Amino acid sequence: MKRGLIVDDATVMRMRLRDILQTRFEVVGEAENGQRALELYAQLKPDFVTMDITMAEMNGMDALKNLVARHPEAKVVMVSAMGQKAMVFEALSQGARDFIIKPFDPDRVVMAINRLFD
Amino acid sequence: MKVEYANPFVIAAVQTFQKEVGVRLSRKDLKVKDSPVPSQALSIIIGVTGAVRGQVVLSMDENVAMAVTKAMLPGKLPVELKKLINSAVSELANIITGQASILLAGDHGKIDITPPAIISGGALKMDFLNLQTICLSFLSEVGTLELNIALTEGHS
Repeated sequence: MKRGLIVDDATVMRMRLRDILQTRFEVVGEAENGQRALELYAQLKPDFVTMDITMAEMNGMDALKNLVARHPEAKVVMVSAMGQKAMVFEALSQGARDFIIKPFDPDRVVMAINRLFD
Repeated sequence: MKVEYANPFVIAAVQTFQKEVGVRLSRKDLKVKDSPVPSQALSIIIGVTGAVRGQVVLSMDENVAMAVTKAMLPGKLPVELKKLINSAVSELANIITGQASILLAGDHGKIDITPPAIISGGALKMDFLNLQTICLSFLSEVGTLELNIALTEGHS
């Protein structure tokens, strides 16, 4: 079973993503900001990461850049309300594999993670 | 403040409430104020920078906040939901502002938002920016809410 790390500053969103993901995957950790995500990634070595953008400490875009620089194999799916074209383009060009705009359908999340391993 | 900045927030609020809370919002009224000071018990403040800049303050009563939390976390007990109200309404404000910023940014602009800050209770006094504000209020089956939009042109 593929192992995932959820990164989002909102507790409710982490709980919702956990509920959705753990039907098909193993959720091995949750981080509330980008800095914590980098620490947990190094420690847990998950197969995939869901990454919010608007967070204190370190935002998701900076965390993505850092994560991909340190771990080029990292599979990151952005999950954010900041779905402007410029943001989506920046995230994908920085190495994100997909971009899910909030509010989302649970099926869209599962499909995006499944596609990472096709 | 340009009135056209308000329309994306109306669209985003109505769509987000329908999708996340399963509740239909209808517009009550629109007022112009000198600052985005909210009027209800629970308020979430989000800063906006980039192509437009300023503040957006979503304000609601406790019944609406509880309904939002319950809808976002179905199956949780009331005691658990109470602890998660701030997180749920902050996320709702984040989604509404994020959705509105997609419409405001269009094809070429870029808008960033700050993580939400929450204020509750009547005792706290805060100074808000003196910025012409459009205050939109909405009615719903779970109560009323208010969106204070204080934005000016920024830079892309």
